[in-house]
Parts: sequence; C-alpha cells; structure tokens
Amino acid sequence: MNTKISIVLIEDEKNIRGFMAATLTAQGYKVSTAPTAKVGISLITSGCPDLILLDLGLPDMDGIEVIREIRTWASIPIIVISARTQEQEKVLALDNGADDYITKPFGPSELMARIRTALRHSNRLQTDSLLNQRSYRAEELMVDFEKRLVTLAGSEIHLTQIEYKIVSLLAKNSGKVITYDTIISNVWGPYADDNNRILRVNMANIRRKIEKNPAEPHYIFTEIGIGYRMLEDKES
Amino acid sequence: MQRFFYFLPSKQDYKKKRGRDALITLLLLILATALSFLYFDISQNSANVALLYILALVLIARITDGYLWGIFASLIGVVCVNFLFTYPYLALNFTLAGYPVTFIGMLAISLITSAATTHMKQQMQMLAERERLLVEAEKEKMRANLLRAISHDLRTPLTSIIGAGNSYLETGDFLDESQKKELVKQICEDSNWLLNMVENLLSVTRIQGGEANVNKSLESVEEVVSEAVIRLKKRLPDAKIHVQVPDELILIPMDAILIEQVLINLLENAILHSKSSQPISCHVEVEVESIVFHVRDYGIGIPPERIRTIFDGTPYTGNPSPDSSKGMGIGLSICKTIVAAHKGTICAHSCPQGTDFAFSLPQTTESGGSHP
Repeated sequence: MNTKISIVLIEDEKNIRGFMAATLTAQGYKVSTAPTAKVGISLITSGCPDLILLDLGLPDMDGIEVIREIRTWASIPIIVISARTQEQEKVLALDNGADDYITKPFGPSELMARIRTALRHSNRLQTDSLLNQRSYRAEELMVDFEKRLVTLAGSEIHLTQIEYKIVSLLAKNSGKVITYDTIISNVWGPYADDNNRILRVNMANIRRKIEKNPAEPHYIFTEIGIGYRMLEDKES
Repeated sequence: MQRFFYFLPSKQDYKKKRGRDALITLLLLILATALSFLYFDISQNSANVALLYILALVLIARITDGYLWGIFASLIGVVCVNFLFTYPYLALNFTLAGYPVTFIGMLAISLITSAATTHMKQQMQMLAERERLLVEAEKEKMRANLLRAISHDLRTPLTSIIGAGNSYLETGDFLDESQKKELVKQICEDSNWLLNMVENLLSVTRIQGGEANVNKSLESVEEVVSEAVIRLKKRLPDAKIHVQVPDELILIPMDAILIEQVLINLLENAILHSKSSQPISCHVEVEVESIVFHVRDYGIGIPPERIRTIFDGTPYTGNPSPDSSKGMGIGLSICKTIVAAHKGTICAHSCPQGTDFAFSLPQTTESGGSHP
C-alpha cells in the first residue's frame, strides 16, 4: 500500500511550481500540481489530498474564494503562499479557514516545517485523541492544560487568567500563526472590541514573564500585522 | 501662443465668471451712484461726483476680467454723471462744456486699469506655472537619479547570477562538485540581495504621494524590533546583534512593515560594512515626545565627508571600487524617505569606534486623535 502523504500544489508561476514540486518529492511527498484554481479544485475533489498549498495570486480566481469553496466541504489543511507585503490578504485567508501561511521567498526547511505542523494539527483534530490535552513542551517551557500550569525550566510562572488563556491558545496551536482577531474573540469573547491594544499589553506582560529578553523572543513570535506564532512543541 | 490658450477657462467657467463680473460691476455702480447722491445731497457740488465714479471704475477694472466691464462701466458712469448730477438734472445733455473730456478721461482710466490688471493676472499665472514646472522638473530629476542608481545596483548581481548560471550549464561537465556548489551558492546570495533590494523599493511604493500618507496603526516597538532582528538573522544567520528595549511597553503609531524595513537596512549595513566582528547593538530610547531607535556598530567608521551625504542616495565616488558597497546608498535613502513619511528624523554620528545610526519617531500623531 502506498502510504505517501499527498499534497496538491496550486501555483501559477511555472518555475516556483517546479522547484516546490521537486523539493516536496525529494522529501517523500506525493505531489500533484495545478497552474490554475479550477484545475486545482478538480484535483482536490477527485483526489482528496492530505494537504493543499495555495498561492493567493492566481489568474483565474481569487485565492480567498478558493479557500471558501474548499472549506464548504472539507477540512483539509490549507497553507497559503503569499508575498511579504500582503498582510491584509493573509489575515483574510486565515480568517476564511486557511491553516497557515508561508511568505515568499522561503527555503525548503521552512516549507517542510509548516507542512509538518499543519499535518500534525489536522491529525489531532481528526482522531480527536487525548493529544489535544497533552501538555505543551518546547525547550524549557511547559504548559499543562489540565492543571492550568505554566513552568519555565521547572519553576512555575504566574500568569493572570487572561494571560494563561492567550498562552494556552497559542500553545495548543503551536507552530501555527494565530490572528489577532482569533485570539481576541477566543479570550475576550466574540463581542470584544477589536482594538488589539489590550492584546499587545497582555502579550508584553507574558513576554516579560517567559522570555529572557523580550526583544529577542524565544517562544512567542510576532507576525507583524497578522498575529502571533508560538514555538512548535517537541512532539514524538 | 499655446501657453496663452492654456489659461483660457472652460466654457462653463467662463459663463460663471461673466455672471460674477456683471454682478460686481452692477453693485459697484449702484454703490457709487448711492454715495454720489448722498454727497450731492449734502454738498450740492457735483465736482467730486465724477471722482466717486472713477473710483468705482478703477475697482471694476481691477476685479473683473478683460476690458468689457470697464468700458461698460465707464459708459454708464458718464451717462449717470450727465443725467443725474449735472444741470439740467434728469436729462441728458451731451453738449455740456468739457463733457467729452470727462468721457474720454473716464474711458482712458478704465482701459488703462483693465489693461494693467489683465497683464498682472497673466504674469501671476505664468509665474505659478513656471514654479509648478520647476517642482515637477526637480521631482523628475530625483526619480531619474534613483532609477539610475537602482539600475546600476541591479545590474551587478544580475550579471553575476547569469554568469554563474551559464557557466554551470555550459561548462558544468568540467567542474567538480564543490565548484558547482560554489556557483549555486553565489546565485543564491546574489538573488537574496536582489530580493532585498526589490522589497526596499516596494516598501517605498507603500508611501503614496509623500508625507503623511503612511498607513499608521499603533504598534508595539519591541515586536517590530524583534521581528526585524529575526528576519535579518534568517538571511544572515551569523549576524551577532545585541538587542535591548525599554522595560515598559511602548505603542506608537507607525507602518510596522516600513519601520521594520528601516531597521533591517540599518542592521544589515552595520553588519556588512562595519568590517568588525563585534556584535551590533540595537536599542530603543524613550524621549519626551519621541522614541529613538539606535543601531550602533563598532567597526571601521565612516569618513566625515561621506557621513554628511550618506542618506542622499548618491553613489559614493570616493570609494575606489563602487561595487564593494552596492546598494548601501539606496537602502539608506529609502530609510530616510520612510522615516520622513512618519514625521521622524534620521541621522548618523561617528563615534570613537564605529558609527551610531539613530532615527526617531513621534510618540503621538500630530493631531493627537489616533488614540482610542
């Protein structure tokens, strides 16, 4: 039985498609490529891949539309490929159901890391196993979701309710970027003010508690204009 | 002649203007007549009545466009003086002694004033036009300079990429593995540099139409600094940077992507051009009305004659090999553009060892209204 993980890559630039397909194949993934959204969607509906890599700037259809269409019937992880200055589009893509994004240009190692993270999260969701309740561990930081306990190098970190909510949300989605809006509605509720000043203040406090130097964060990274990403936890 | 046509207002404008001119003429004539009546009533002397009309005439010629209204007003004036204020009252008598003199005098005054006014208006328009052309030419010159500098800077790495690619393809059979790897590595380095340059240029396009048009939002200074350092370290993994931010959280209005670009440019320059293995220091200071970002290197320093023009984007001519500092000028001039668009300042100081680049951003928007 062929157990290769299958990936559909939708990208209109021939050269980028070529090098990405080569990298992915070399890493042992089964790759089908599509130059347009239409071809891509038909590939997805017929093949039900494990993961989708989607370029936002496609000639025949808006990338956001593609995500919406796929999300109407499948929860296959989608990683969006985009240029650096398109923050608005990235946020829109994430809020419409994309799992993560990767900024052009990227190296093979970065691409592999994003793919692994996305696959891991989708596995967790599908099996709905206790993994979701497993503690988060990365380097010296540990978050125990059952005991609501955060420790750094063995000693307990005292976080406020709000701070703990933010850290645990990021830890449960470690490795993935979480948008400001998602954090705010998860922590303060759906009717919260979408002013993210209060989130910045809390994040600054968290950083001062868990990072050695808040200006050189080790655990929680900022994706400017988009959200936060927590260091991926050391699984397996 | 063409320039003259340029100033001709459109038909609609013209109509509107004519209406306005007619109104002004009418009002001033009525005013002059009213004042004359008043004066005449009090002093029973018609000698100065003509003067009042002349005053109205001068004003009309000055305010309205062209000669038409002046001539019209002078005719009315003459008739009014004749009809209302000279014997026999309320009757026209053109045989009055000196009458032609009054008429010709008033007409002449009206014509001369109109001519002078028209001339003056034309000259003012010409001056404004010349000024506009000058500003335009200045802008064009800057654009051309930037374009020339960019093209020069882009050509070098492109030549090297094409060269490396071609030699790999054409003579690849004669190269050993390590030589091939070296060629590919060179292609990677140069394309990375090119990408950085393009991103710099793209960031300038985010500033639309110069100052005060940046898309500002409240951003946390430490997040922007840390993001810049992380992105730079991704490209230059060996870079040693010592980062320090104030203890309290600082939120200031800015376009974070642009400020990040400024920090990256300054840090990269410091790393690549200081020729020192000592870590670069990047720290933030809080001042009364502004936040100051410092990027300090402990390298070879910059000659004083260079430091004065370092943000101007002009290639450094004193350098024996211009390619050794490729892109430095453009990167810094882009920094200046970005900081200026935030109403901040940027400067470079020579220190006993190395150089300190600092830029400041205002703590609040000038209107003070952006705070929630």
